[in-house]
Amino acid sequence: MTITTDVRHAVVAKGLAKIYGQGDAAVHALRGVDVSFATGAFTAIMGPSGSGKSTLMHCLAGLDTVTEGSVAIGDVEITRLSDKQLTLLRRERVGFVFQAFNLLPTLTAEQNIRLPLEIAGRQADQVLFDRVIDTVGLRDRLSHKPSELSGGQQQRVAVARALISKPNVIFADEPTGNLDSRSGAEVLAFLRRSVRELGQTIVMVTHDPGAASYADRVVFLRDGLLVTELTDPTPQSVLDTLLKLEA
Amino acid sequence: MLRTTLAGLRAHKLRLLLTSLAIALGVGFIAGTFVLTDTIEVGFRQKFTADAAKIDVAVRPADDPAISAEVLAKIRKVPGVVEAQGMLSGPAPLLGRDGKAAGNYPTTGISVMTGQLNRLTLTGGVAPAKPDEAILDDNTAKTRQFAVGDTITVLDQKNVKHEFTLVGLFDTGVDQQLASSGAVGFTTETARLMTGAKGFDRVDVVGTEDPARLRDAVASALGAGFQVKTGDQLADELAAQSKVEIGYLTLLLLLFGLVAMFVSALVIYNTFNILVAQRTREMALLRCIGATRTQIFGSILLESAVVGVLSSGIGLLLGLGLGAGAMAVMEALDGPVPAGAAIALTPRTIVFSVLIGLLVTIGAALLPARAATRVAPVAALRSQVEEQSFKTGVVRIVFAGLFLLAGAGLTTAGITSIEGDLALIVLMGGGGVFFLGVLIISPVIMRPLAAFVGWLPRRLFGVPGKLAVDNARRNPRRAATTTVALTIGVALMTLISVITATTRATVKTQLDEQFPVDYMISDQRGSEAGVPRAVADALRQSPEIGSVMQMRVTNAPVAASDPGTDPGTGEATVGNIPSVPDFRPKAASGSFDRLEPGTVALVDYLAREWNRKVGDTIQVKTTEAGTVTLTIVATFDGRTSDQAPVSVPEKEFDRYFGPLDDTRVFVNAKDGVAPEVARRAVEAVAQPYPTALVMSSTELRGEFDDALDMMLMIFGGLLGLAILISILGIANTLSLSVHERTHESALLRALGLTRPQLRRMLSLEALLLGLIGALVGICLGTVYGWAAMQTFPFEIQFRAPVGQILSFLALSGLAGVLAALLPARRASRASIVGALASV
Repeated sequence: MTITTDVRHAVVAKGLAKIYGQGDAAVHALRGVDVSFATGAFTAIMGPSGSGKSTLMHCLAGLDTVTEGSVAIGDVEITRLSDKQLTLLRRERVGFVFQAFNLLPTLTAEQNIRLPLEIAGRQADQVLFDRVIDTVGLRDRLSHKPSELSGGQQQRVAVARALISKPNVIFADEPTGNLDSRSGAEVLAFLRRSVRELGQTIVMVTHDPGAASYADRVVFLRDGLLVTELTDPTPQSVLDTLLKLEA
Repeated sequence: MLRTTLAGLRAHKLRLLLTSLAIALGVGFIAGTFVLTDTIEVGFRQKFTADAAKIDVAVRPADDPAISAEVLAKIRKVPGVVEAQGMLSGPAPLLGRDGKAAGNYPTTGISVMTGQLNRLTLTGGVAPAKPDEAILDDNTAKTRQFAVGDTITVLDQKNVKHEFTLVGLFDTGVDQQLASSGAVGFTTETARLMTGAKGFDRVDVVGTEDPARLRDAVASALGAGFQVKTGDQLADELAAQSKVEIGYLTLLLLLFGLVAMFVSALVIYNTFNILVAQRTREMALLRCIGATRTQIFGSILLESAVVGVLSSGIGLLLGLGLGAGAMAVMEALDGPVPAGAAIALTPRTIVFSVLIGLLVTIGAALLPARAATRVAPVAALRSQVEEQSFKTGVVRIVFAGLFLLAGAGLTTAGITSIEGDLALIVLMGGGGVFFLGVLIISPVIMRPLAAFVGWLPRRLFGVPGKLAVDNARRNPRRAATTTVALTIGVALMTLISVITATTRATVKTQLDEQFPVDYMISDQRGSEAGVPRAVADALRQSPEIGSVMQMRVTNAPVAASDPGTDPGTGEATVGNIPSVPDFRPKAASGSFDRLEPGTVALVDYLAREWNRKVGDTIQVKTTEAGTVTLTIVATFDGRTSDQAPVSVPEKEFDRYFGPLDDTRVFVNAKDGVAPEVARRAVEAVAQPYPTALVMSSTELRGEFDDALDMMLMIFGGLLGLAILISILGIANTLSLSVHERTHESALLRALGLTRPQLRRMLSLEALLLGLIGALVGICLGTVYGWAAMQTFPFEIQFRAPVGQILSFLALSGLAGVLAALLPARRASRASIVGALASV
């Protein structure tokens, strides 16, 4: 199966299946998912525990191999790439924000933000850097080590790091999972602003309806299958859909 | 609690094994030492007992004079004596096929006993039965290319040649002296004639009576002046003697074993520290569900005890293999060890090895166990494990300062104000204390050192380089302990290499000063025999020879009593001052120019001892001119000169002592004569004198160089173990760190670090640790090598062998990189998703 990606979609997955283990112990984490993520949009992936949302994200980002189906980031079909090619692709085109352990404890905030560029051997766009730093409001924290930053500040540094290399897409895995509600709201608002103002594409996995409501669109997974989606969600509409799914 | 600990150990078998290996190697070395020395000792005892079984009573002179033939006859007449034979030995130079005495030392002539009393092991042919028959030890026969049936020529004490038919070959067995000199065996009477021995060293007796009663009978027949022992007593005595000699070997080897154990202790300490840090949540969970601090402490100690027992067991097996291997190698090299001895594993070896392995392991785990008890139960609830932070404490600085100052103080005292052997001991003590100071301060200096050593990698290797330097610096305490283990080995290696290089240079300078000649001729039998003056005369006639100097010495009673009195019997070595000024030593006071009849040059230590200075007189009792009073005109440094302590002008020497043979003849080739031409000329002159040994200065230096190289190699091999253990320590620390940083590595991989880059990052971290450890070691080793040489009572030529030292640095770095191979492989192979998921 060939995939045609157009400029309107940053990530396209077709017939995505992922099976862990073999025989009786086989776990079908994804059972054939077709999904695409529009460029410049903020999409949330939701679903009950064990629905496969994290697996889907890992497969989309090229962190995990797929059993069947294909994934394209931009115009590159990633399921056939070698580990080395995937690594280089991640450098250039993908940004990450994880739930925890986002930063290297030995580096300062600024060094952490510049790390992906350094790994890729690229120069930071100083204008973009300044703009990102000011948007996240971290200018006075740049020389601090992660251990000297609050949880919310650490996540903002992580978001800034993801933004700085201007990737095709940023994958955020429960980015507010470890934060109090105020810090969480700050990070989410910042993610949405980077979509609106910088035209960034963001795919976020979350189980929090409130967090999902910041997105432009929410896709719902259950038992490894894409079941429904919402556009322009509100916390209430997300919650309703979830309740319906779990019923 | 016990079950929890054991379950935890079972779950981490590989880690347990790696940790055990460090201790096992140390224990193995110690156990191996015991196994080897016990085996040799038991072997010797068996040999002595077997020998002693052949004799009932042995008679030896109580003091120096040998046993005369009359005494032997008296022994033979004692009732109950069936047979008694005397044994004797002495120099009997064997001539090689070139007609010159074989080797640098004369072969030893021995008497071969007959019948039941013969204890030699023949390896071919038969024992000598007639006066014109002889046997050779198999090594000498091989190197000198003699076979049974050949005719061999041996010199007697008057340098007269005697020919013998070689009828047999024998093994020198455990006799070290015979093995090194080579031996030729004769019938007893021939041996006495050839060696010029005045009597027997020992008489062996076989009798019909009970040995104890026979001994008493022989003893009462001989009266005082003899040691009479039964065969069993003799075996006990000889065994005890060899035990003392083996004791020194044991002590030396154990010293290296203890260094290895100390390094192992550091490695274990570090491992337990990291394990405790990594299991903070596990400990906290145990505390939450009701484990007391004591139980936590106990569980860590129990874990260390299991590791200790396991590693001691492995070490014991390792030691058994090492001991047997070393024994096999020594036998293969034909060393003076009892052949075919059964490998001895004594209860002492088992108890000592297990005990030291257990104590060191538990001891090293004490501090980490205490740290584990400080974990608060609430730590179980925290999601992220706190990174160990290190702050330089005042207490640490104060303690480190005290140790460093005390160490430096002792060291300085050792160099400047103490003399003799004590100086070296004080110095080494100072070194030990200083090292403890370095150990305490090392976490503090680790960060600057890492920044310094990491300067180049940081610039050369991009992001992996930067991250590696940061990682090396992030946990200074852990890095410090890891590297200090390596520091010990490298410091000792550097120390030895500096000492060897300095000794080499110093001896070379001394040889150049004392032996500023191309060739030296002396008698193979040492200073008691001489080189005929005809040799020097012939050399002077030779067109290839530039200058010849004859040195003669003799012993004569010398004293610093008043003029005209008898000097008594206190002997000193009196020699001649060469007439050629080039060969004279430097005068410490006075001048050699004023040497004339009636004057003497005195070595400085005798001048001090006798409280004599230039212008004073001494008395010398001569053989030809009676007692003479000589005026001191010069003193010279005895440590840098080969000149006889009491030296008189050459002509006067002859007048005092008659025309003695030359003790040594020094020869310089004429300028422009090729060395091989000059050598041929010197050898041609010496050819008619079989025992005149020609040595070139390069040969002399070569021999010395070989001995130094040998020492360097042996010590290097022994220290290699400590270095190997410290490398294991680096591997262990690194693999535990990799485990700890699973998340970080996954994050870096997600951000685009390739697998090779991740591997490179870890290799560089290990490289840095290796280099830092080596660098500190090299500094310590060089300084202490210099300090140790300062305690020697002569002027030294300090040399730091830069090439060798740099190779230690390079090898340490390389070893670090090798140690990182497996951990780096594991880290780079880990799946990113798996690593991110496991918290």
